[in-house]
Amino acid sequence: MDALLEMKGITKRFGGLTAVDQVDLIVKKGEILGLIGPNGAGKTTFFNILTGIYRPDQGNIQFNGTDITGFKPYQIANQGIFRTFQNIRLLKDYSVLDNIKLGLFRQTKAGAWSSIFGLRRSREEEKKVAEESWALLERLGLTDLANEAAGNLSYGNQRRVEIARALVSHPEMILLDEPAAGMNSEEVESLSALVRQIRQQGTTVILIEHNVGMVVELCDRLVVLDHGVKIADGDPNQVVANPAVIEAYIGGQEVTEVVGD
Amino acid sequence: MEGWINPYYLDIIVFLFINIILGLGLNLITGYAGQVSLGHAAFYGIGAYSTAIFSVKIGLNPWLSILLAVIITFLLSAILGLPSLRVREDFLAITTLGLGLIAQSFFKNAKITGGAYGIDGIPMPSIFGHELTDVEYLLLVFIVLLVLIYVLHRLSRSKLGQAWTAIQEDEVVAQSMGINTLYYKVLAFAIGGAFAGVAGALFAHKVSFISSDTFGFTLSATLLSMVVIGGLGTIRGTLFGVSVLYLLPEVFRIFDIKIIDPNYIDTYKMILYGLLMVIMMRYRPKGVFGRKIRHQKRAVKD
Amino acid sequence: MLAQQLLNGIALGFTYILIAVGLTMIYGVLKLLHFAHGVIYTVGAFSAMIGILYLNMNFIVAILFGMIIAGIAGVLVERLAYRPLRGTHPITTLISGVGIAIFVESLFQAIFTSDPRGFPATGMKVEPIHITSSISLTNSKLYIIIVGLVCLLLLYAFLKWTKMGVAIQAVSQDMRAASLMGVNVNQVVAVTFFIGSALAALAGAFVAYDFNSLFPTMGSIPGLKAFCVVVLGGLGSIPGTIIGGLILGIVESLSEGYLTGMVIDKDAIAFVILILILLLKPSGLFGKQVEKV
Repeated sequence: MDALLEMKGITKRFGGLTAVDQVDLIVKKGEILGLIGPNGAGKTTFFNILTGIYRPDQGNIQFNGTDITGFKPYQIANQGIFRTFQNIRLLKDYSVLDNIKLGLFRQTKAGAWSSIFGLRRSREEEKKVAEESWALLERLGLTDLANEAAGNLSYGNQRRVEIARALVSHPEMILLDEPAAGMNSEEVESLSALVRQIRQQGTTVILIEHNVGMVVELCDRLVVLDHGVKIADGDPNQVVANPAVIEAYIGGQEVTEVVGD
Repeated sequence: MEGWINPYYLDIIVFLFINIILGLGLNLITGYAGQVSLGHAAFYGIGAYSTAIFSVKIGLNPWLSILLAVIITFLLSAILGLPSLRVREDFLAITTLGLGLIAQSFFKNAKITGGAYGIDGIPMPSIFGHELTDVEYLLLVFIVLLVLIYVLHRLSRSKLGQAWTAIQEDEVVAQSMGINTLYYKVLAFAIGGAFAGVAGALFAHKVSFISSDTFGFTLSATLLSMVVIGGLGTIRGTLFGVSVLYLLPEVFRIFDIKIIDPNYIDTYKMILYGLLMVIMMRYRPKGVFGRKIRHQKRAVKD
Repeated sequence: MLAQQLLNGIALGFTYILIAVGLTMIYGVLKLLHFAHGVIYTVGAFSAMIGILYLNMNFIVAILFGMIIAGIAGVLVERLAYRPLRGTHPITTLISGVGIAIFVESLFQAIFTSDPRGFPATGMKVEPIHITSSISLTNSKLYIIIVGLVCLLLLYAFLKWTKMGVAIQAVSQDMRAASLMGVNVNQVVAVTFFIGSALAALAGAFVAYDFNSLFPTMGSIPGLKAFCVVVLGGLGSIPGTIIGGLILGIVESLSEGYLTGMVIDKDAIAFVILILILLLKPSGLFGKQVEKV
């Protein structure tokens, strides 16, 4: 299988603290990869490095054959890596539909002039964006909420809309930051189904998650971070049985939040 | 026609339209793209001085001067906007304010802008050798206003508008959706500044004499209050906010209402604006015509 | 000549410091750019004038009176214009602050007219003190330096050794944690506004006395320059603000002496510095590197 993403020796320091320390990671195309670890392990920092919010102090990131180390967040998105956020970040005062349309931003081209003069290309593009967004809402069963303010939705639906926004442009890879947080078991179930669907459409998935039961069942592979160091990488069932991982989780109870997470 | 319209009223309406154009540009920057600007008067001044310099000092045709002035304002707004855009939103207010003060100080001291004396004798544009009358100039300003309202409306629905919305609400999200936030912010400053450039050029040819006093902080702050009170991010809000707040003091002048000392109308006006800003932020932060969710229907497939 | 300019610059710097310290403390506690700080300076100067003119106070009492009135005004501004908006978008608070500034300034123009007026007779004449044959300083400027130094020392002692001072520092570090540990945040904010406003009033009153002139818009430029000082020194850092204030005062004073016929006014220099700092080192000269996001 092809490696879609290849990260080598990724290190990020904040002052004296090394949040991510010499992490190597290879993600294969079409994989569902779970990234777990105790609070403060550096998972979100890792996402922020991958999405260009932080620049790694050391290391190199190859995506789809392109060196994307040091790319700006918008350049990374344009390479086809989309993400959701741990604390849902929707445009709360805008409709669900407008939020989804935002996900298609990178695929539209009509600039200022053609919009001002209402040229055909820009009108066709507007139509296409609207239709694709509606189609996705339909698939997710959110059509009725299309014109609701995103901020008024239930927590679970906000998560779904955020995932939909990341998904609508059919990115190569999608990063989900604790998508199941605050969900009941039924919602987790439907979320897992959605993640499998995402993979079906050809998008590779990395997710950060605390719900170990869910990741073991859902992911092809698990990677464990502890204090910024990768301590395990492999088959989910084996990884969670790994004494080092168990130790990290138990020891991790006392570790207070330090970084990002 | 000139005979039966009080020229004073004509002037008020021309200046109202010019202020609305200014307000629309500021609303584009602050309301649509979320970048607070307390230096909008600088762009207005750049437009006014550019056309004055081209038409008076270089002797270009007024129409060409106006066109060049708008282009120059567009470019300078982009350049001046650049340093401001490196800072967080509340600091942007100070930086733009500082830029406004620097610009005004430049207008007052530089030789090219006529220093403290300003520039006089800015010609009225003419068509086929016929110099525009006051009524015709009013018509011209009105047409320009309509065009700019249309442009702003279209822009807000375009890819640019989408980018600005995202930037205003959450820059991190905007970036993670593939939006080059710096580019779109600079563009907002450039286009909003160009609106002010149009207003400034129209103003200069109307009054024929300009000096640095016009382009100060008071104007920037007044405009911001008008736009905010009307409602950020809506065209109706700017039309309403600027019209009501601009005309209110004029009403007192025109009808010669003696409740208050006429010499103090501008002071009372500012007291009211300031108070309204505070009250609005507390009770109706989205303004009189706050932006509402746009209801969209799914297109029926054929 | 140079020594003379430096001395004037230091005196000018102390007035900026007295205004800017309040801004920086308020920024520290609330992460808020207090746009109405300039009018508080004006309130201080006018209150002191009223104290002397109508309440028969002597100079020192009048200045204390101005500080108290301005302190109360500052607390009121926070109560009415900022506190109800806590937690909203920074732009909302900012516009509210600009609104207060416009309101108070215009109100003063309506009451006192826009024309400058002289500072009332204090029985203390402003006269030059000759340090050497060529270097002199007005006594009023000397008082500003001395009073400024005393105030900074008192402020230092207050922040370091009183319970309230420590609470202010705790809130500046982390408001949520401080409030969880039982600090009354609203009280801390009120005290911060009171102290900051009183110090600005002190500067306002002394400047009015020194220049023998006060007018309703006198606070707007110094208030804005204080922002430059705060940014220059690194936001929220009091030592940075002190150095930033001195730098601005000295640069302005030197520009007056050496650079004539500039394209911009002396008053615009602060903003040129501000923009350069924001471009080159946004965290200020002494600020900590702040992680965005």
